[in-house]
Amino acid sequence: MKLLQKNLVCLWEEEKLIKIVKRNQPSRAIFFLTPVLAIFLTLFAGGLIFYILGFKPFEALKFFFIVPIADMYGLSELLLKATPLCLIAIGLSFCFKSNNWNIGAEGQLTFGAIVSGGVALLFYNQEGFYILPIVILAGAIGGMLYASIPAILKTYFNTNEILVSLMLVYVSKLILDYLVVGPWSNPEGFNFPETRQFSYSARLPLLFEGLRIHAGIFLALAAVVVSWFIFYKTYLGFQMKVSGFSLKTAKYAGYKGKKMIILVFLISGACAGLAGVGEITGPIGQLHREVSPDYGFTAIIVAFLGRLHPVGIIFASLIVAITYLGAETAQIFMQIPKYTGQVFQGMILFFLLASDYLLFFKIKFTGLKK
Amino acid sequence: MNTNLKVSNVTKIYPGCIANDNVSLEFESGKIYALLGENGAGKSTLVKILSGVIIPDQGDIFLNKNILKLNSPLDAKKNDIGMVFQHFNLFETLSVFENLIIDSDEKKENLREKIELIMKKYNFLINLDVPVLNLSAGQKQKVEIIRCLIRNPKVLIMDEPTSVLTEQETSELFLSLKKFSEEGILIIYITHKLKEVMLLCDEVAVMRKGKLVSVSEIKNENIETLAKKMVGQNLKTIKKKKVETSSDQLIKITNLNFISEDPFETNLNNINFSVNRGECLGIAGISGNGQSELFQILSGEIISDKKSIEFNKNYIGDLNPQERREYLMAFSPEDRLEQAAVPQMKIFENVALNNFKSSNFFKNGLINENKIKEHAKKIISDFNVNTDNIELKSQFLSGGNLQKLIIGRELITSPDLLICFNPTWGLDIGAINYIHETLIKINEQDKSIILISTDTDELLKLSDKISVIHKGKLSKIMNADEVTSEKLGVLMGGGEID
Repeated sequence: MKLLQKNLVCLWEEEKLIKIVKRNQPSRAIFFLTPVLAIFLTLFAGGLIFYILGFKPFEALKFFFIVPIADMYGLSELLLKATPLCLIAIGLSFCFKSNNWNIGAEGQLTFGAIVSGGVALLFYNQEGFYILPIVILAGAIGGMLYASIPAILKTYFNTNEILVSLMLVYVSKLILDYLVVGPWSNPEGFNFPETRQFSYSARLPLLFEGLRIHAGIFLALAAVVVSWFIFYKTYLGFQMKVSGFSLKTAKYAGYKGKKMIILVFLISGACAGLAGVGEITGPIGQLHREVSPDYGFTAIIVAFLGRLHPVGIIFASLIVAITYLGAETAQIFMQIPKYTGQVFQGMILFFLLASDYLLFFKIKFTGLKK
Repeated sequence: MNTNLKVSNVTKIYPGCIANDNVSLEFESGKIYALLGENGAGKSTLVKILSGVIIPDQGDIFLNKNILKLNSPLDAKKNDIGMVFQHFNLFETLSVFENLIIDSDEKKENLREKIELIMKKYNFLINLDVPVLNLSAGQKQKVEIIRCLIRNPKVLIMDEPTSVLTEQETSELFLSLKKFSEEGILIIYITHKLKEVMLLCDEVAVMRKGKLVSVSEIKNENIETLAKKMVGQNLKTIKKKKVETSSDQLIKITNLNFISEDPFETNLNNINFSVNRGECLGIAGISGNGQSELFQILSGEIISDKKSIEFNKNYIGDLNPQERREYLMAFSPEDRLEQAAVPQMKIFENVALNNFKSSNFFKNGLINENKIKEHAKKIISDFNVNTDNIELKSQFLSGGNLQKLIIGRELITSPDLLICFNPTWGLDIGAINYIHETLIKINEQDKSIILISTDTDELLKLSDKISVIHKGKLSKIMNADEVTSEKLGVLMGGGEID
């Protein structure tokens, strides 16, 4: 790879018109500017795709990115989608910062939803202020339990956490499927694959009349603040940083590696579990087959687009949330499948990784020297 | 045919430093040239210019009186200039043969024959079909050399080739280089090791701070004169004062065994030794004979049987490095950039890597940044680290300064025992001397040192007692004044002495 890069640099140098020069130090500005660049490249490529499909690119992009959030309802939907993305991405950044590759947030979300949904169903015919906190807590614990599986397997049996956490996603989805079709399905539900409605005491309150945005957003904001504090002010944050750069150094410094791996997985699982709670106890108010449109996977993109920085993640979650909304409007107004949203998410990640090249190299326009 | 390579008035300026300042040099085939200089003297820049990796701002290069335009490494190759870099450019997962033919346009079968011929001629014993990752550093270097030889080079440039080699591999390399030279290949040998220059080369060009200081024949020079030219000042010769060491035992290792699950690691076999207060125990050996495993066990990165290590009358074999620091032990690992420090983190953050309860760097789980910064400033001034900005990322420190920071970080807590592993690896003379002085000083303060090193001169200079590790077994411990480098050589090679 190094050889390849070297050759590439030389190739350009022969031209003398454009030079690629290695940076001494990735500047902080570039660190946060490349995500912006990635977003612009995504818009450009998206426009190009729309053009090839026979749409007017600007109009299509407008349908995709502006129309969905042009009114109060749209903004509320944006925040509704951004909330779980932000929450999960914050949790994931604990793992990613410390060199732990938890890819299974989707599974932790699902399992958190199952546990909290199960608890909420216990109280389906009761009201009381104590119910909601229990339900929320149950969700967090569910996510933590599910995240502890890859963590324990990694620390004690040396398994690869990427594979384990990813495969567990499908296990959790099948468990959910079984429950909502089988034992937990609503007895008065005409065999629809869904549970009873939760009682109002088990539901996160909606913030505005007629809008779907709910109190879950405060959980996300709290996670942002707490994670910022942990990352930059605490010993745990420092250990995560060192482990992220070099596991050898972490060992030499004497950090308790296993304890930290388990801890970051638990934090990450708790956040995903809470996102699951928000999905079922918010506007929907019951467990059903599809608790999440792959928020757990999309949050990986959000975490990296936000540079694993809590504030960056807020912005990233808002931007990526638009692709969910845009895909729906595009389906309605332009009759293109809503999977276009995933195309955009993929493109963002792709361009982000590509523009990370600029972190280490800068392009110099030298002009013709001949 | 004779080859004449001429560098004429070459200048290369980087922001903030002149790497090559109007350098002119002439090389003739049949001789081995040394390009000598400290780290950062500009010798690497010069050879990168010769191999087309860097384009000079000014100046020309002539090969046999013809001007050479080297705009890329490819141009250098086309003009029969071969270069072996300090860091290997090999694809680890490809086989040796695949690595050799990767940039060649000749036919595979012809090449295989040609490569086998080259290997036979120079007595290189490498299996062409194993992946490169299975090779030792010396073998990898041979692969790089063969890659140059395939193209029948007129000029062969070697950039600090021995920094990764064992002594034995080094002498093999020197034999090959002499053979190449006899066959008319012009050899330019870049190094900062004076002994190698004296052993190998015919002429020596010394560079300092980007300028060419002198060109002379080796027979008119000796190690002292060269060192003086290289450093630009008279060097103090450091000599350890012989002091009576106490018989107060500080650390004792008993029946230490280590069996690794990793086939690339060395097992340790029944290690026993002890170190008294104020004493320096040197452990010699060719790299890869169990030094790294021994260091990790002593530092607590690998945990062993509780009773196998007794430190200050406590059994500590099962403690991790942080807990051992609490007992006033300190550690300086071999790998500065990947273990002892984190280059991407700031200087003061690196200081906080050596934390334990009483360091107070972290209180109630929170970072105590003021305390850490205060500490970092003290290390920088006490240990002569050349920087005034502790917010700088540590990757901007030179090797010597980074090592001073690491040694300073370990010593500022005044530990009873410092365990260091190749502490002067790859450093220039100035920094080496500083580190050696520091180590002698802590011995004088009645603190102990375990010095694991592959540099026998260093061991003879600093140790009170010396032992040799070979294939995971420790030789008997000898008093340093009874030991000669010849004796060590025999033991390091697995031989026996009476």
